[in-house]
Amino acid sequence: MNKYEKAAAAAVGLMLLAAGAIFFYAPTDWLQGPAQRIFYLHVSSAIAAYGCFAVVLLGSVIYLRNASLAADRFARSGALVGVIFTTVTLVMGMLWAKKVWGTYWAWDARLTSTLVLWIVYAGYLLVRRLAEPGRQAARFAAVVGIFGFIDVPVVHFSVQWWKTQHPGSVIVRDALPPEMLATFLFTMACTVVLAAVMIAIRYRIETLADGQVAVIEERSAVVTPREAEPTR
Amino acid sequence: MTNSFAVAFAVARKDLTAEWRTRELVPALAQFVVLALVIANFGFQIDARNAPSIAPGVLWLALVFAGLVAFGRAFAAEREQASLEAMLMTPASPVAIFAGKAIAAGLLLVGCEAILLPALSLFFGTPMSAPIVAAVLLATIGMAALGCLFAAMVARIRSRELLLPLLTLPLWIPFIVAGGHAVQVAMGAGGSYDQALALLVDFDILFVVLTSLAARFVLDE
Repeated sequence: MNKYEKAAAAAVGLMLLAAGAIFFYAPTDWLQGPAQRIFYLHVSSAIAAYGCFAVVLLGSVIYLRNASLAADRFARSGALVGVIFTTVTLVMGMLWAKKVWGTYWAWDARLTSTLVLWIVYAGYLLVRRLAEPGRQAARFAAVVGIFGFIDVPVVHFSVQWWKTQHPGSVIVRDALPPEMLATFLFTMACTVVLAAVMIAIRYRIETLADGQVAVIEERSAVVTPREAEPTR
Repeated sequence: MTNSFAVAFAVARKDLTAEWRTRELVPALAQFVVLALVIANFGFQIDARNAPSIAPGVLWLALVFAGLVAFGRAFAAEREQASLEAMLMTPASPVAIFAGKAIAAGLLLVGCEAILLPALSLFFGTPMSAPIVAAVLLATIGMAALGCLFAAMVARIRSRELLLPLLTLPLWIPFIVAGGHAVQVAMGAGGSYDQALALLVDFDILFVVLTSLAARFVLDE
């Protein structure tokens, strides 16, 4: 087992522990019933996703400043992992909303901005795929990454005029009983660890892929001049 | 500084002159928005009662898609003749060139709005008042800045037609939210028009500054 496999196994173990806490330790909510258990992973993966996109923002800014390849790889990895966690957040939130609100979707500020978040970074991944690999893809994606990060709070803010239906922050208002709070904090820590491990593994994959591209370019650079030599 | 303004003005004038000589884009866009209104008319059951609640949505949908076409075209001619590279080789600053392109594309979209707004008023029986025109024009400024930035980007990417809407539309949403609200209020819905307009101005400032900072990285590529 190499260090990446060990880290992955540890992250999965932690997530199973979190699942245990969610289903067996945390009390059932008296109003929402078992559906409230979605909250722990839903909010945790939202926080993990924001963390990932902060990595994208940071990597993008650093890349535009000094063309650091490592920063660009971090941005790439962060975007992919962030989109995964945003998907989890959206799907779990919709399941909860169906149970508690009676509908899967409402055009509330937080739902809208999360959906836009997902679309923006899915677009980021598309730019990476379609632009010419290397400098162009990295530069264009960095611009998309930075604009996306700014766009999301702006969308959130602009939609907020209309009544917001999403539950407010229960943690800040101290509205959670201690067992629930402990479960939430534990799940959040585990999810953040999982996201970090996923970014680290993805970073390794991107490094290897970049290395292969470099090797291919090096070989073609060696081959082409020889072929171009005039035959005597 | 004066030089940058002169460059932006010259680039904008060049694009507008080219459009004036060929008269391609604005007539096509005008026809496009009128068609959009015709389709909306058959898609919705429109009568005098529900027109004020449907018309703002139709207006923004038509405008957004016309905008995508207009900004997508802004760099098409440059790409076909590789003239953007030539412009970038001059000592003029890339930001000034970008500003010129954005101003020209924005003005072409305004030309299309000059057809869209009266047509909407004609077909849907909604008023065409100064508040509506003001909201649409304010939104056009920010939309032109963002639309041109991403049009410049996708001009160098494969499948550019696919990518331009995907990148641009999410960033236009704030303008549609605020502009949509302003037009709804102007057409008789409840809410604060002034707040919506103030927000549009804020978004314009925010995104014009951001795009001018980012333009260097996109054009230099």
